[in-house]
Amino acid sequence: MSAIIFFPPAAAMLAAPRFALIVMTLLAGVFVLIYASLGEAKPLAVWNWMDIVGEGGTALMSALWVMLVLSSRPSGRVTSLLAGGLAAIALGAWVDSLDEFFAIPKTQLWDNWLESLLMPGGMLTLTAGLYFWRQEQFSLNDHMRKRERLFREHRAFDRITQLADAEYLRRQIRLEQARSADQPCALILLDVNQFHQINRQYGQAEGNRVLQAISHLLLLNLRSDDLLCRYAGDRFAVLMPATTRDDASRMAHHLEHCVRLLAHHTQAGSERLRITARVASAVADQEVDTLLERLNAMLEPASPSALEMAAAA
Amino acid sequence: MIPCYQSATRFIPARYQAALLLEYARSQDLDDQALFLGTHLDASAMVSEQVLLTPGEYLQLLHNLNQVVASRDTPFMLGQQLLPGHLGNLSHALLQARNLRQALDILIRYQAWLSPLLAPRLMTLGDKTALYWTDSCVTPRLRGFVVEMMMTAVSGMSRWLSGLRLPWQYRFNRTQPAYIEQYAVHLGTETRFNDYIDAMLIDAEWLDRPWPRGNEMTVTLALAAVEQHTPAEFCRQSLLAALYDYLAERIRLAPTLERTSADFGCSPATFKRHLAQHHTHFQAELDLVRAHVTLKMIDQQGYSNEQIAAYLGFHDANNFRRSFKRWTGLTPSMLRAHLLQARLME
Repeated sequence: MSAIIFFPPAAAMLAAPRFALIVMTLLAGVFVLIYASLGEAKPLAVWNWMDIVGEGGTALMSALWVMLVLSSRPSGRVTSLLAGGLAAIALGAWVDSLDEFFAIPKTQLWDNWLESLLMPGGMLTLTAGLYFWRQEQFSLNDHMRKRERLFREHRAFDRITQLADAEYLRRQIRLEQARSADQPCALILLDVNQFHQINRQYGQAEGNRVLQAISHLLLLNLRSDDLLCRYAGDRFAVLMPATTRDDASRMAHHLEHCVRLLAHHTQAGSERLRITARVASAVADQEVDTLLERLNAMLEPASPSALEMAAAA
Repeated sequence: MIPCYQSATRFIPARYQAALLLEYARSQDLDDQALFLGTHLDASAMVSEQVLLTPGEYLQLLHNLNQVVASRDTPFMLGQQLLPGHLGNLSHALLQARNLRQALDILIRYQAWLSPLLAPRLMTLGDKTALYWTDSCVTPRLRGFVVEMMMTAVSGMSRWLSGLRLPWQYRFNRTQPAYIEQYAVHLGTETRFNDYIDAMLIDAEWLDRPWPRGNEMTVTLALAAVEQHTPAEFCRQSLLAALYDYLAERIRLAPTLERTSADFGCSPATFKRHLAQHHTHFQAELDLVRAHVTLKMIDQQGYSNEQIAAYLGFHDANNFRRSFKRWTGLTPSMLRAHLLQARLME
C-alpha cells in the first residue's frame, strides 16, 4: 500500500537518471557540433574565463540537480516537471557558455532563440513542478500525520512499518506534556500475542508482514490527532492528545477488537493466521520512563503457573 | 596440554550461524556484500557443509550487520532464531530435551557449536539457578550485542519448548541502555543493570518441569550421533572458558602465569599474547574468577570476609575487601546489602 509511495523499486530509480544523463550529454554534444559548424572558434586570448566558469558551472550544477531529483523521487508528473525544468536550465547555461568559445555571425538569430527558449522555458517548467510538489507535499503530510504529529525526523522511522520508534515516542510525550499540561494525553500499548510463534513457524519475513498489516490496521482506526509508534518488536504505542482515562481504555479495547478481526493470510500458503493482542492504557500524568515501565508491566502475561492452570482448566 | 579454541580457530559451521545472519540481512533488504565486508565469504559458502568460520569472522559478520542495519532490535531478532538452531543431531537433541535442566546441560556441553562467542555456565544463588555468561571470543564493543543475542536465544528456546514464558530475571553487567524498550519487549521487565555479572536467573523448580516435546530416547540417540561424528581433536571450549575453569579449580593455590601457561602448553610470552588477542590479561581473568567465587560464597554459605579472605589466600580481611572493591566496584558488605535487598523485593 503506502510503502510504494516511499520506496519505488531500486532498479527503476537507477534507470531514470542514467537515461536522463545520456540524453543530456547527447544534446550537449549536438549543441557543440552546431556551434562548431556554424560559428567560428574564438582565439584563446579573448576567452572570458569569468563567464566560462560562471555559465559552465551553472550548467554542471543544474545537471547534477537533475540527477539528485531523479535518483531520490519515484517517477511521476512532479518528478518529470522538476527534472525537465532543471535539464532545460542546464542546457540553456551550456549553450550560453558555448558563446564564449564560438563567435556566431550577428546575421544568424537561431542561437538567440535557443538561449531565450531554453532558460525561461526551464524556469517555467521548474516553477510548475515546484507548485505541484507543494500540493503533493500537502497530501503526504496528511498521510504522515498519524505517524509523526509535531515534527519531522526521518532517522527515527522503522524500516518495516514506517512508524517512529520508542525514542521518538518518549520525546513526543514530553512535548505533549509540556504543551498542554492542563489537558493530559493518554498512552496505549498494544502487544501481539504469541508473535514469536509466527516468526518460528512462518519465518521472520512473514512476521514482518504481520507487523505491517497491523500497523495499517491501527492507523485506519485512529483519530487524526493520534500518533502511532512501533515501540519495539511486536509492541505498538498510541499517543492520544487530550484524552481521558475512559476514552483511552475504550480506544484500547477497540484496537484490540480490530486486531482480533484482522484476516491476515500468509504469503506462502494463504493460510489465515489467528492474531490476537493485549492492550494496556493510562493517562500520561507521570514521568515518561515511569509511565512506560508501568504500562509494560501491565502487559506482562500473568505468571506462568496461572497460565498453566488456565490452560489445564 | 589443555585443548581449547581461539578466535582464529576454524570450526563454526557457516551453514548455521552465518546462514541465519544472511537470512536476516536479506529480510532487511540489505545487499549480501554489506554483510560479508572484510571477510572472504560469499552467499554460496552459506549452503556448503564444508565451509567453517572462525569466531573472529563470526564477530566480523555481526559487526557488519550491526553497522548496516543500525537498528537496536538486531541482536534480539537474531537471538530469536538462534536456538535450537539448524545443527542436525545437536539441534534435534535440544528440541526434544526433557526439561530446562537438560537443555541447559546440552547448551553448556556443546557451547563451541551453540554459543562460540560467550561461555554459558550455571551457578546456584539462593533458591535460584543462574545461567551466567563469561567471554569466549568477543570484542568489548560487541559484548553487549552478543549478550543480548544469547540471552534472547535461551529465553526464546525455553519459551517455545516449554510452551510458557518462563519467569526469568535478567542481570546485566552494563549501564541501562537508552533503548530499554527492546529489553522490555523481548526479555520482559525483570531486568537489572549495573550488576557484577551477566546472568539470567530462574527458580530452581522450573529446571525439572517436564517439557511437552521431551523425549529421553531421542536425546540420547541424537547426542550419541553427535559424539560419533565429532573429531577427537575438536575443542569444546574457548581459551578463556578453559582458563576460567582452570583458575576456578586452583583458586586457593594462588595460580601464576608461569605455571598456567605451562599447563596450557606454551611459554608465558605466547600465553600473554593469546590473552591480549582476546582483549584481556592474566590478572584480569584471575580477578574475575575470584570475584565469582566470592559471590557464590557470600550468597550460598554466608561466609564472613575473614573466612573468604582465608579461603582465597589473602593475608587479612582488609586486603581482600580492597581487592574485591577493585574487581567489582562494590565492597563485600555493599554486595551483601544488595543481595538482601533483592531477596526482600521478591
